[in-house]
Amino acid sequence: MRRSVQILRSSLSRRRREYRRLVAWSLVQAAPAFLSGWIVARAVDRGFLADRPGIGFLWLGALAGAFLVGAWGTRHAVLGLASLIEPFRDELVTLVTTGTLHRSARLGEPADTAGVARLTEHVERARDAYGAIVLFVQGFLVTAGGVLLGLAGLDPVLLALVVPPLLIGLALFAAALRAMAARQREVILADERIAESASALTGGLRDVVACGAEDRVRAETGAQVDAAARATVSLARLTAVRTAALGISGWVPLLLILIAAPWLVRSGVTTGAILGAVTYVSQGLQPALQGFVQGLGSSGLWLLVTVGRMAEIAVDPDEPEATAPEAAEAGTGAATGRTPVRPGGARVEARGLTFGYAQSAEPVIRDLDLVLRPGEHLAVVGPSGAGKSTLAALLAGVLEPQAGQVRLDDAPVLALGGGDDLARHRVLIPQEAYVFAGTLEENLTYLAPGAAPADVQAAVRAVGAAPLVERLGGYDAPVDPRDLSAGERQLVALARALLPAPRLALLDEATCHLDPVAEAVAEEAFTRRPGTLVVVAHRISSALRADRILVIDGTRVALGTHAELLAGSALYRDLVGHWGAANASAPTVGAMTRAGRVRDAVRVLLRLTAHR
Amino acid sequence: MSLGAADRLLLASARRGGVWVGVTVVTSLLLTGAGLALPAVMGRTLDAVLSEGDSARWLAFTGVLIFVLVAVDAVDDLVGQIAEARSTAWLRHTLLGHVLALGTRATRRFTPGDLVSRLVGNAARTGNSASSLVWIVMGLVPPLGAIVALAFIDYWLCLTFLAGMPIVVLLVRAFLRDISDANEGYFRVQGTIAARLVDALGGIRTITAARTVDREAHRVLAPLPELRRHGLSAWDAIARISARGELVVPLLVVAVLAVAGLGLTQGRITPGDVLAASEYVVMAAGIGGVLSSLSQLAQARTTAGRIAEVIAEPPMAYGRERLAEGPGRLEFRHVTVQGTDGPVLQDLSLIVPGGALVAVVGRSGAGKSLLAALAGRLVDPDEGEVLLDGVPLRCLGREELRQAVAYGFERPVLLGETFADAIGFGPRTPSAEVLVAQARAARADAFIRHMPAGYASRVADTPISGGEAQRVGLARAFVQAGRVLVLDDVAASLDTVTEHHISQVLTSALAARTRIVVAHRASMAARADIVVWLADGAVRGRGPHRALWADPEYRATFQPFSLAAAEMVGGAR
Repeated sequence: MRRSVQILRSSLSRRRREYRRLVAWSLVQAAPAFLSGWIVARAVDRGFLADRPGIGFLWLGALAGAFLVGAWGTRHAVLGLASLIEPFRDELVTLVTTGTLHRSARLGEPADTAGVARLTEHVERARDAYGAIVLFVQGFLVTAGGVLLGLAGLDPVLLALVVPPLLIGLALFAAALRAMAARQREVILADERIAESASALTGGLRDVVACGAEDRVRAETGAQVDAAARATVSLARLTAVRTAALGISGWVPLLLILIAAPWLVRSGVTTGAILGAVTYVSQGLQPALQGFVQGLGSSGLWLLVTVGRMAEIAVDPDEPEATAPEAAEAGTGAATGRTPVRPGGARVEARGLTFGYAQSAEPVIRDLDLVLRPGEHLAVVGPSGAGKSTLAALLAGVLEPQAGQVRLDDAPVLALGGGDDLARHRVLIPQEAYVFAGTLEENLTYLAPGAAPADVQAAVRAVGAAPLVERLGGYDAPVDPRDLSAGERQLVALARALLPAPRLALLDEATCHLDPVAEAVAEEAFTRRPGTLVVVAHRISSALRADRILVIDGTRVALGTHAELLAGSALYRDLVGHWGAANASAPTVGAMTRAGRVRDAVRVLLRLTAHR
Repeated sequence: MSLGAADRLLLASARRGGVWVGVTVVTSLLLTGAGLALPAVMGRTLDAVLSEGDSARWLAFTGVLIFVLVAVDAVDDLVGQIAEARSTAWLRHTLLGHVLALGTRATRRFTPGDLVSRLVGNAARTGNSASSLVWIVMGLVPPLGAIVALAFIDYWLCLTFLAGMPIVVLLVRAFLRDISDANEGYFRVQGTIAARLVDALGGIRTITAARTVDREAHRVLAPLPELRRHGLSAWDAIARISARGELVVPLLVVAVLAVAGLGLTQGRITPGDVLAASEYVVMAAGIGGVLSSLSQLAQARTTAGRIAEVIAEPPMAYGRERLAEGPGRLEFRHVTVQGTDGPVLQDLSLIVPGGALVAVVGRSGAGKSLLAALAGRLVDPDEGEVLLDGVPLRCLGREELRQAVAYGFERPVLLGETFADAIGFGPRTPSAEVLVAQARAARADAFIRHMPAGYASRVADTPISGGEAQRVGLARAFVQAGRVLVLDDVAASLDTVTEHHISQVLTSALAARTRIVVAHRASMAARADIVVWLADGAVRGRGPHRALWADPEYRATFQPFSLAAAEMVGGAR
């Protein structure tokens, strides 16, 4: 709550000039509120009741003029409001966008897209509520000021009839406001609790049914429905107080004016002045009050709650980010000088790597040692959930290990500076290829801004993406990610990764949506270059192309060539589909020959594709 | 969805407001009556005061009317919201109960997020608008009454107003058109920004690896100036409209006042009438408000339609039969299940002997999980029948069925507050010993004990890996296991040691039960008594793993690995 007030206040204080302009125009807007009663009084007293309707018409013409001026003021006041609110919306969108991105980066996984939709809705709601509040509060203050001045102009005695009930009503409203805010918050929270348990319920419907727990879940969520209804009713009780306050402020002055009328007339107040006073109250004060009370009562709280929700999304500065090295190491990088980028392959050395996703959870990788020669090609295989992607992220320095270290050519990988140099040291391509709305060229040079067109073309040709470029209409054609298949997106990501000529390339199932032939072509593009290559393999064919293979399964690992692993790792045999070899009963020999056949086939195929 | 059902639902939910709806009718009548009478009475009061007549009577009358207005307005507010809260709660309960009665069918038709929005937002809107139906009718009375009242005071006043009215209507029209034009561009750009954000979130691993989070934030926000431009042009329209709006009613008032003033000069009407007339003009101009009430009603009908759409789905009906003692023999008779494009399983017949360990294998999309879902009636077949120990599943009572068949899933959703709750979630409430024993069997005991509060740790506050969640889900299945235990790919995220341990539990402690296991690894298939090999919506083969292994296509179903190798061998020949 405090954070949202902070956001609102700082947004307003940064735009004092716009705010002053809004105030100035709303003073113009209040001109008719200020003049109306007084003009009506003059028109009646000096015109219509004095048998001079012409004069009356003139005064009414002046009133119409005042309304015209007021409307002009309204128009500019609204524009002034817009110049306050639009930047505020921009701030909220920026807050939400950067917040969501940073949070996702920290968690290493995308936030749910439904959440993104909800955020958009929150932003719009906050924008509307903010507008309503500024408009109504501003409108009320100016109108009330105008009306009171006008009444004083008619006869100061009238103020004594209008001000006390107005203040009593406002005080009652102010007293109810705090309690109302609390109860309105309860209503919103109760609704969110329903939404939460409803999404747990609908998301887990299969499990609820399978566990036969329909009644239990229905009772639990039903209790929350009832709680929300209770919260609504308890808020309604206070809303009634608010309505009463509105009635006292708006209606009682009218009654008092009428009650005092005989006395007023006797003490020289004219008929026109009484008509004017009634006009002031019923056509100036009442509508402004209504907007004020309703605007502050409901929009205000919505604003606080929604902005508060967005503030939660914004990054908590205390929490370190997965990409924290970016910030932390930027300083040290500047101090020690940049790690020079040499051409060729990196020597990769991991010592005692241990990593778990939560302190309480078992480590996914425990005490792993691994050394890769410059230019070596390693394949990582293992069952799903075994920690292959985690290993790739650790080797790339995207994740920080709980223990141990990864060194790239003797420099700690976590100390690599950000910026374009990073991609020349190492590139990690995850399974889900990222293609953004922009030109194809922008997408391809994402990791190597300013790359020469010839290099871009070479990279595209190397991974076999040339037909795709042609289909999309060249490098300058705009790309809509939704028009590309998953495989096409992977081709773009592969060509992109080739461009900075990284000393270490890590492909984390980056070819899983390509067919085996296309995959062979793409991987070949990476093996041909001098850089070191780590491939988290999706198919055995991809493992067979590697110099060595790392089999990981939970915290156990085995490293070796294909033949060594077939002989030594039961898991590897299982993964390759060579079940039975462990029993040493029949198919060991057959399996070996089959593996040989596969190898030959791969070689033939690679030759074929190389000649294309 | 016919609108008839939506309207019926709207009325039904309005009735759920109970007596409060009746009270709302009364209060709204009182409010309308008092509001309509007040200007006239105030006018009379003023005249009485000015002519020094019997002003006390009229003053009292005015006082009473104002009191009624203030007091009844407050009561009306309270009562209306109570009725709305009751209607909304009723709608939510009804929908909730129905979604649960639909079971997995609900999520086949509607996405979970969609159901949530129907349950939360749509129900509230329908419930709220149901009781304001009263006000949509009552809202018409003050403007029409005010027009009549103007005519009573002086027909010239009425004519002046009626001549001015078309201008109001025209302006309201222009208002609607202007706004929608400006908003269209605004929403489009807003959609662009949201789409870019979703894209970037989908590629977050690329972005994190390249450390380009800030660059991406910049890219996502690039259309912001355009958004502001559209926003400002929408505001421009709003500014013009509100200026016009602030002009129309006052100008009508001025016109009526001018005519009234003339009447005053001619002695046709009194100062009190002028007062009353100026109030009535404002009231009569409120006729535009009826339009917005009507659009609110239209919206309520739409949301009611969305709720009625869910309720129209037939719920899963359970029978009353009970199971006799039996081994847990499952029989699939000519089962067909339709998918979105064509049948997923077609005319499948299969007998699973009681007490057998059956592995279901096949390439992804072959219908393995569907077969598993059919075994415990998480899904009903479109054609054919599934029988458990001779009794069709459709005829079994719900509790009987759930006690007989338990499920473990690849990605279990853990329900319940604590881990103890999550494991004991189901028809059987296990003792603490059983709970721990089964957690140990599912290899979940050790990591749960490592948590700060052990089994009492809250599931929502404790991040666990996919493999750990799988083991908790497995423990839940072990606790609930009746005569049939269905495990849908529960080993997908487990390492081979854990998997081996669990398959040993399956072949020892749980050996008496019928066990259906959807498997991806050859090692699991090898331990099964029978392997059911699914392909193209039918049973391609059935028998021991060893016998099927000779078929290269069978071998190809295990892991995408060997599949690709087989393809390549074939391709090179």
